[in-house]
Amino acid sequence: MTTTLAGGRAARRQTMRRIRPRRSPAVPLLLAVWAGAAAVLWLWWQNTPSIADDTGRILGAGRITGLLAGYLMALVVLQMARVPALERRVGSDRVARWHAMSGRYTLCLVLAHVFLTMWGYARQAGKSLGDIVQQTVDSINQLPDMGKAALGTGLFVVIGLTSIGPVRRRLPYDAWYHVHLLTYAAVFLTFWHQITTGNDFAVEPTAKTFWYALYGAVTALVVWYRILTPIRLNLRHRMYVEAVIEETPGIVSVLIGGRRLHRMGAEAGQFFRWRFLAPGMRFSSHPYSLSAAPRPGMLRITVKAIGDHSARLRELEPGTKVWAEGPYGALTAQRRSRGKVLLVAGGVGITPMRALFETLPGGAGDITLLYRANTTQDLALWDELAAIAEERGARLMYAVNSPEGERPDISAENLRLKIPDIETHDVFMCGPPGFAQSVFEALREAGVPARRIHHESFEM
Amino acid sequence: MRKSHPVRRVVLATAATVSGVVLLLSLKPASDPAAASAAGAVPQQTAAGQAPQGAAQAGSATVTGDAAQTQYGAVQVRLTVSGGKITKAEAVQAPKGGLSDQKTQLAVPKLNQEAVTAGSADIDAVSGATYTSEGYRKSLQSALDKMKTAAPPASGSSSSGSSSSGSAQARTVTGKAVQTQYGPVQVRITVSGRKITEAEAVQAPKGGLSDQKTRLAVPKLNQEAVTAGSADIDAVSGATYTSTGYRQSLQSALDQAGG
Repeated sequence: MTTTLAGGRAARRQTMRRIRPRRSPAVPLLLAVWAGAAAVLWLWWQNTPSIADDTGRILGAGRITGLLAGYLMALVVLQMARVPALERRVGSDRVARWHAMSGRYTLCLVLAHVFLTMWGYARQAGKSLGDIVQQTVDSINQLPDMGKAALGTGLFVVIGLTSIGPVRRRLPYDAWYHVHLLTYAAVFLTFWHQITTGNDFAVEPTAKTFWYALYGAVTALVVWYRILTPIRLNLRHRMYVEAVIEETPGIVSVLIGGRRLHRMGAEAGQFFRWRFLAPGMRFSSHPYSLSAAPRPGMLRITVKAIGDHSARLRELEPGTKVWAEGPYGALTAQRRSRGKVLLVAGGVGITPMRALFETLPGGAGDITLLYRANTTQDLALWDELAAIAEERGARLMYAVNSPEGERPDISAENLRLKIPDIETHDVFMCGPPGFAQSVFEALREAGVPARRIHHESFEM
Repeated sequence: MRKSHPVRRVVLATAATVSGVVLLLSLKPASDPAAASAAGAVPQQTAAGQAPQGAAQAGSATVTGDAAQTQYGAVQVRLTVSGGKITKAEAVQAPKGGLSDQKTQLAVPKLNQEAVTAGSADIDAVSGATYTSEGYRKSLQSALDKMKTAAPPASGSSSSGSSSSGSAQARTVTGKAVQTQYGPVQVRITVSGRKITEAEAVQAPKGGLSDQKTRLAVPKLNQEAVTAGSADIDAVSGATYTSTGYRQSLQSALDQAGG
């Protein structure tokens, strides 16, 4: 008995040594963003000695909104540059939410800037608010680079319209995505008028240099991480479909072969964006998590056939070439700060949990997996999970609907009943948004602090 | 994973942005405080009330522009012109009382200096004294207009010939004012030995957008005129009307110079 205990302690110590929680760089990054915004406002403040009247105030507001929009636009593009620090440390889901939020905000600033500036110019020329359209046409005709800027703003409006919830849901994903790519053109078109007509850049050569540096750096990061890095990755690893396996009705696993796949730096819990070079599929890439830890010659993804794209995966021929970008995602062992871990999976959300269940370091009893599905037939990968549980001495639980279709009760009391020391656990969670939300609330009620509930959600 | 409140977020972002912008704008003074306080020790040197003189000098005359009303009082400019060139500019009237004294003290000497240097009403406003500068500019323009009606361009060039002492061949010719959609454009050139040595716009579109365009286009057009030595110059993109007017006025000046 004593020996087992001692052995258990030694194993625990061994485990703890391998847990090195890394803090997400989100807070310092956000501070830097705010500092940059303050610097932009300071630039305006320095170059505006006084404001005499309402026209001056309107133009001042137009300049402030314009400067902020120009600054944020660079950051909105940066958020989608697939920079590893953002994708793997902050988390792709969180960065995508930032992108959506700041994108909307920036578009509003752009529109406010256009309206206020044109209104101010109209007033200066002794015209009324009603002449604002004519004033806009005049400005486009007469000021340098304003034609380009107007075209770019038009593109921004189209991109914004296609991203409004109801419109986006009705559009095919590919159409929305390709319209969204026009952002690069729009940013390019609107950049030049900032330099040539922007008051603050005309008088401050330093500010102009800073602006060029900001946009130059973002361009370099986009080219490097969105274009060159994937090309290098795919030339090096040359991936192809090895086999397609039906796990349960509607859930398939795709085995992917290639060269030295363990050198891709992928960790359990991460995902790649996959593009299968088969007819009808080559123009869209989709994010799917790895459902097993990477092996030298093999990666595996497990996908539920819900969408058009995922349904087609079933018909993939072995040998089909695969183009992958990644690895992305921050739902990895790095998030862990405690010895004990609870993994919660809902439906096909089992994929990253399955990979973590296999690889998270821990002694007997440290790791628990709770798997929620509609019926026992829907428990994909169950046999593997049972085998892993057996081998590691980990706990495996499932919750399915009753035969009458009643949903299982995942409440704080039930969780505490099953896992008495639940408040000492780190929780990793993956599942549909409604499920994740209710489990999150139950976990909080059961005493798990929010900072130890690790979750990835691609809902906006 | 905390509940998101989209409506609350939108309201908060809008309120924060609007109040931030309004706060920044309201913190800005109506006139430049640094410029006003810096004027403290400048000795009193308003030109108002000085007796008209200059009749003694041969070929020079004084012209007084119309008084231009500003928010803080009237501004009126008097020019001493010799050989078609402004040799002296002074303000007969300028805003007085309270802060205005200080501002007048600060701004008027600068504006006088600028008027002599530019030889036209195309002068920069003194920051912190925008209204005074604007009034000054208007009155200066009216004085220049009067000067032209009194002495048409052709005779202006001849009077320049009579008063010239240094450069024998140099003379200035002012072209016709050409009306454009946005205001008149008028070009004055200095010709020396059948070459244009200097070109400047006496008048150019003003107000609103036009200020920006004039600032962008006129220096380029002046440069082009000197380089080309003819009215065959390229239009500045974004300022087509101004360019066309400039070209026409330049051609008329060249016609006068050649004839």
